[in-house]
Amino acid sequence: MIELSVHKKLRAPSGEMQLSVDINFPKRSFVCIYGKSGSGKTTLFKIISGIMQPDRGQIVVNGKTWLKTDDKFHLKPQKRKVGFVFQDYALFPNMTVLENLEYGLEKGQSKSIIDELIGLMELGVLADRKPDTISGGQKQRVALARALVQKPEILLLDEPLSALDHEMRIKLQEYILKVHQQYELTTLLISHDVSEILKMADTLYHLDDGKIIRQGKPVEVFTRKEISGKLQLTGEVVAVEPQDFMCLITVLIGNELAKVVVVRNEKELLKPGDKVLIASKAFNPVVKKIG
Amino acid sequence: MNSLKGIITNITVNGSLSLVHLDVSGAVFSVIVIDTPKTASYLSTGNQVSVIFKETEVVIGTGKEFNVSLQNRLEGKISEIQSGELLSKIILDTNAGKIVSVITTRAVKNLGLKRGTEAVALIKTNEIMLTA
Amino acid sequence: MDWSPLILTFELAVIVTALLLIISVPLAYWLNESKSRTKPIIETLVSMPLVLPPTVLGFYLLVVFSPSNFLGHWLQEWFNIKLVFSFGGLVLASVIYSLPFMVHPIQSGFAKLPDSLKDASYVLGKSKAQTLFRVLLPNIRPSLLTGIVLAFAHTIGEFGVVLMIGGNIPDKTRVASIAIFDEVESLHYSVANAYSMVLFAITFVILLTVYLINGGYLQKFRT
Repeated sequence: MIELSVHKKLRAPSGEMQLSVDINFPKRSFVCIYGKSGSGKTTLFKIISGIMQPDRGQIVVNGKTWLKTDDKFHLKPQKRKVGFVFQDYALFPNMTVLENLEYGLEKGQSKSIIDELIGLMELGVLADRKPDTISGGQKQRVALARALVQKPEILLLDEPLSALDHEMRIKLQEYILKVHQQYELTTLLISHDVSEILKMADTLYHLDDGKIIRQGKPVEVFTRKEISGKLQLTGEVVAVEPQDFMCLITVLIGNELAKVVVVRNEKELLKPGDKVLIASKAFNPVVKKIG
Repeated sequence: MNSLKGIITNITVNGSLSLVHLDVSGAVFSVIVIDTPKTASYLSTGNQVSVIFKETEVVIGTGKEFNVSLQNRLEGKISEIQSGELLSKIILDTNAGKIVSVITTRAVKNLGLKRGTEAVALIKTNEIMLTA
Repeated sequence: MDWSPLILTFELAVIVTALLLIISVPLAYWLNESKSRTKPIIETLVSMPLVLPPTVLGFYLLVVFSPSNFLGHWLQEWFNIKLVFSFGGLVLASVIYSLPFMVHPIQSGFAKLPDSLKDASYVLGKSKAQTLFRVLLPNIRPSLLTGIVLAFAHTIGEFGVVLMIGGNIPDKTRVASIAIFDEVESLHYSVANAYSMVLFAITFVILLTVYLINGGYLQKFRT
């Protein structure tokens, strides 16, 4: 069980904000923190990892206390079993890929984990390269591998996939799911991408202005209520073409484009970038075998 | 998207399908869904649910006597028609509220629909979704 | 030509640069990290030599360390250290006078590094010292080099402070810049010219090397 209770006053560009998060989730969960930028997501991660201190709070990870402000107890980041993949990857530019991974070793820890991670993340050919000379997706894999060297109990992923193109994203999502399973991790992911969250996470917390406003299974949180249509797809509106009283909207679902007609309703005008749920009855679609 | 409130009056289960009868402001609606009271908690007699269906799935009929298979019917009066070159949007005021229908402009002309015309909205059983 | 002023100059520059490096790394690190209220005061003091006439600094050092004054008297009585008109005094004065030239580049080097590098190192279980020596310093090498070279070159070139506290004692405090002045005073233009040429050439070569390395021009020859 992971128990987080974190309270901190933050100075955001929009003024002061109170970060107040009280959440518990079981070990080995894949938790997503969803929310606008400036809602306190990264701060929450910094507090979990110990880089930042809250005004008040308590963190207990699998029975071990990491933080208890009431007792003035604050475990140093060095002592917390946490892996952190930073948004900018934070690879050390002076070290090669291999050296970056080796830097993560604890005193006396066997190097076999490095070989294992290099194999798992397919980093063999990059081992002697410096971070400046590899691509974004490759840096991401190195950062993920480095965060796993000490076999953390919690893996924190701060919007790791936002800078990558679609194909690379899909691939890295698979890497992340693979290590989440293999190392029995409890993973926390910050993400804005609804399809990514639906694919990866089993629990979703929607953080807004420092508070959790919605939580639950991602599908339920995003669709809000149960709907009986059995063909449900979530995607992002990429184009809206009005025509008379209707709109032809183009929706990106995964990496496929679908077109849907909606009758325009002044109250809920769609615009490109909106996340949408497309639902249809199971009776309606026509199915044709391919090939 | 049309959305009406209805109260579940009866549920008939067969395998994983359920035929749900609802009272929508006096009109009887039947809806078929791939869910049973076991898989969906909102399926329970007496529950209020939303009945939703797309505008393009609403058939418009005039006159009293016609034989069609569509069982879900709501009678009302046309309050507005917006005609495009090919398609028209019709708003029908019924006991259950406003219903929007999109049909061809040719059909509007053939039926002689205009504001104030008494008409019936008909929706196929398999086009309706329920949501709690 | 007497080479001893030149040799003395370089001895002084090497010692001063080494001391400055030892002092400036922790000082610059602290200045970059600290949110303390004393920080602006320390920052101001470090930067003072940039704007203060060297003679002002030299004058106060001379007064403070003069054996007729309490501190100077005490140092001489108890430790037999004489900082006025001695090589030790020159070193101390030069360290103070060249401090901003070492601290500023290192401080801005630290400031330019993303915080996430330090955070990542801590999360990987590494101490502050390990993080400083294995992650932070190796990644501000150009700033370190700039600091070293500026401090070295500036120490070679200083005149006012040296004249005030060191005077003009051959083999002890008579550095090249003083010697040049001295030779000109005595109308020995050719000797002054020789000293000047050597200083000119050496400082030119040093600075050129820095710009070449930091500009990456030498990168292609390294590997």
